[in-house]
Amino acid sequence: MKNNSSFLTKNRGILIFFAVMLLAPFLIGLFEGSTPLMIWGNQGSLSKFIEGLGIEIFILALFALSFDLLFGITGLLSFGHAMFFAVAAYLTGIALKTLTMPFWGVVLLVLLAAIVQALLFSLVLPRVKGITFTLVSLGLASVFHIIVMSSDMINLTGADVGLQGVPVPAFISPVIERLRFYVIALTLLVVTYLFYRRFVASPTGRVCVAIRENEDRAKMLGYNTTIFKIVAMIISSLTASTAGMLHALYQPIISPAVADLAFTVTALLIVLIGGVGTLSGAIVGAFAFRLLDFSLRRFIGESASFITGAIYVIFVLFVPYGIVGTMRMRQLRTKQGWQQLLGMLKSKN
Amino acid sequence: MKTNLRKNSKAIIILVIIAAFLFVAARGMSGRDVLITVLRGFSTGSVTFLVAAGFSLIFGLLDVLNLAQGTLYMIGAYVGWTVYVRPDTFIDVLTPVLLILAGFSLSALWGRLASRIQLAPKARKIISWLLILAGFGLLALVLTSYPIAIWNLNNYSESPITYSYMADQGLRIIPAEVTFEKISPFLAILGLLVSSAISAFGIALLNRDESKSQAINWRRYLAPAILLLIGVLAAVFNAQITGWMFAMSTNWLFVIAILIAILSGVGLGSLMETTLIRPLYNRPIYQLMLTLGLGTIGVQIVQAVWGRPEFVWPKPEFFTGTGGACPATNLADLLEYNCSTVFLLGGRVRVYDEIFIPIVGIIVLIVVWILLKRSRIGMIIRAGVQDRQMVEALGINVRRVFTLVFALGVGLATFGGALAAPSTGLTPVMGERLLLSALIALAIGGLTSFPGAALGSLLVGLIQQFMIKYGQIGIPLPFTDAVFKPSPPLVPASTVLLMVIVLLILPGGLLGSKE
Repeated sequence: MKNNSSFLTKNRGILIFFAVMLLAPFLIGLFEGSTPLMIWGNQGSLSKFIEGLGIEIFILALFALSFDLLFGITGLLSFGHAMFFAVAAYLTGIALKTLTMPFWGVVLLVLLAAIVQALLFSLVLPRVKGITFTLVSLGLASVFHIIVMSSDMINLTGADVGLQGVPVPAFISPVIERLRFYVIALTLLVVTYLFYRRFVASPTGRVCVAIRENEDRAKMLGYNTTIFKIVAMIISSLTASTAGMLHALYQPIISPAVADLAFTVTALLIVLIGGVGTLSGAIVGAFAFRLLDFSLRRFIGESASFITGAIYVIFVLFVPYGIVGTMRMRQLRTKQGWQQLLGMLKSKN
Repeated sequence: MKTNLRKNSKAIIILVIIAAFLFVAARGMSGRDVLITVLRGFSTGSVTFLVAAGFSLIFGLLDVLNLAQGTLYMIGAYVGWTVYVRPDTFIDVLTPVLLILAGFSLSALWGRLASRIQLAPKARKIISWLLILAGFGLLALVLTSYPIAIWNLNNYSESPITYSYMADQGLRIIPAEVTFEKISPFLAILGLLVSSAISAFGIALLNRDESKSQAINWRRYLAPAILLLIGVLAAVFNAQITGWMFAMSTNWLFVIAILIAILSGVGLGSLMETTLIRPLYNRPIYQLMLTLGLGTIGVQIVQAVWGRPEFVWPKPEFFTGTGGACPATNLADLLEYNCSTVFLLGGRVRVYDEIFIPIVGIIVLIVVWILLKRSRIGMIIRAGVQDRQMVEALGINVRRVFTLVFALGVGLATFGGALAAPSTGLTPVMGERLLLSALIALAIGGLTSFPGAALGSLLVGLIQQFMIKYGQIGIPLPFTDAVFKPSPPLVPASTVLLMVIVLLILPGGLLGSKE
């Protein structure tokens, strides 16, 4: 019982987030004038729209979370992270459309492909370090991007138009059963986040943090750092692939843009907005990024990406710890201040 | 020699394999095709080298991976194109830019003045921000009413694409002059100067502590005075200079365009280094992200100013002759008739694309090499690449060298852009493509090695061009009758594969130092 309650208090934030997000479509439906029952039956356009936005945010957050595990926790800056996402998305699409595989078979295939890709990267890992690793990962990912864009496989991938008309199984179809899709995406995000926190707190995760701080010292302590990097890579790849699969199921078109360097940069931007290495920053950042992007595109139009770029630069220059990181530091300072104050009062008494 | 061979054995093996590959590749072609493909490879390699060399200089000394290099390459091309096609716009823009620069370049004087003013820290902060805001506000006010003859993106007949098309046809639209209407010329010049001086003073007041130690002598006034003089002269004789530039031969206009492109790169580079990169020297990953962000913003700005369509930069007269004994078979004919093509081994070779660009690339390689090896500044740069702390300890102002190297690197990139644009055309995505090739070239050659950058670029250029050639003629596969034709996307993919293979065998690149 005690153990259970400590789990609840430790993860209070994410659990509140889970509850609020579960209730959000119903509450927003009330504004629109539709009863919770109607929303349960997937009626009501506004709540459906909000659910759609929510699903996009959850997918981005999952992707950014996996990037944060590599970049923020383990200290590996990979510019090929979008490959994990894109391979999963395309594999899902092709397996469902061309190969007409059963859904659970597709899930297995995608997860298997994620592990294979992580192992492919880990072939490179022990040899190249730092910036060279970044370049190699960029190279590997751009090869995939080029293959997807090439007209040789237009029947499979749809080249630069994108993969269209993926038959989504009816029970999670985002058109008919959007609420279910929403809940599934949300649950996946929350479970992954909880798992990540557990992972970072575990001995393996601690070693990953040590690698980020000083790899040579971690090696000196007798850890085979490559294995830990590969573990982080596999977990990250699995998460990114899950996000990619959800993307393929949710979006009507899988565009080749998800294999681009720009998509990795999106993850980097989200993590940067939220706070590097904070995990919860990925979720906060995904919300901030998607909502900002959405409103900018709506109200300003074409030059939205210029403003996004400017925000990115401003964050790099002035808010290096991101929203969550800065808030944590503030909290710490406030806490210290209170303690000092209390100490002064006590000493006077 | 023997130990040297053994030390670089892997690099030599790789080079031999590549040479063997190229040899096998060349077997199926006629000599003419091989020659043209090799020349094209040299051409692509030269342009890649210009970007990659700046990259490697910057990365070697500053440890900054400048991912905006591709965008700067593109900006160089666009600036050069503007000077070439619309000299009147260039002259109009010149005055405000020079005057603002003159205001800011007096920063030593402002720092000296600011250090005399004694203020409470808070008041100083508020006053300096107020000054900066006031300066920029005034600047915006003056600039919006300053007459600049520029195109109109919304009106097709006045859009840059029309100018590009007309220039390509050999016609020249001489646009109507813009005159001072909203503001008197004297007031405009004074306003520009004063507003930039105010904001420069505000900035100097804000970070007063840094500028305290700078000594002042008359040399410090020389640069602003020259800038001011040129700026005012350009404003006064605007019409005459514009007319003179329109009447000028396109060869000289081309030279001016290239020079301005280089200068704009140097200016942009020093601006970037001093304002944006410098605060981040103790956060290396953030520098990388910053340059990435700047690259994206740069593309957006170019799209906003010049629009999205593709432009053509017509080649200067010297490379476009067709009459007389063209295509030339000997040097005298070439020089006499300014032929656009020459006959070599029975094949037509374009002079600008396949001969001029490689020559310029080689000249730049030699010049920068001499600069690095023989000059004092080059010695400091090389020492800084090896051990920065030691150089600092010896009392050399490394910061200034940093700015210089960054400016030089960016200048090389913009030079590359302006040089390549007449043969490749201008698009807002041209930088992205080249950035990838330059990165690959660097990774192949070794990130901090200058000769490595040259070798890597050459390899990347050659492989790309051979793959393109194969896309046309196909590779006969051994032991079968089938012919394999690599599709265009495989061109960049092949270089990426080469990079991955090289890095797996030699993590430091071919000529890089072993870590």
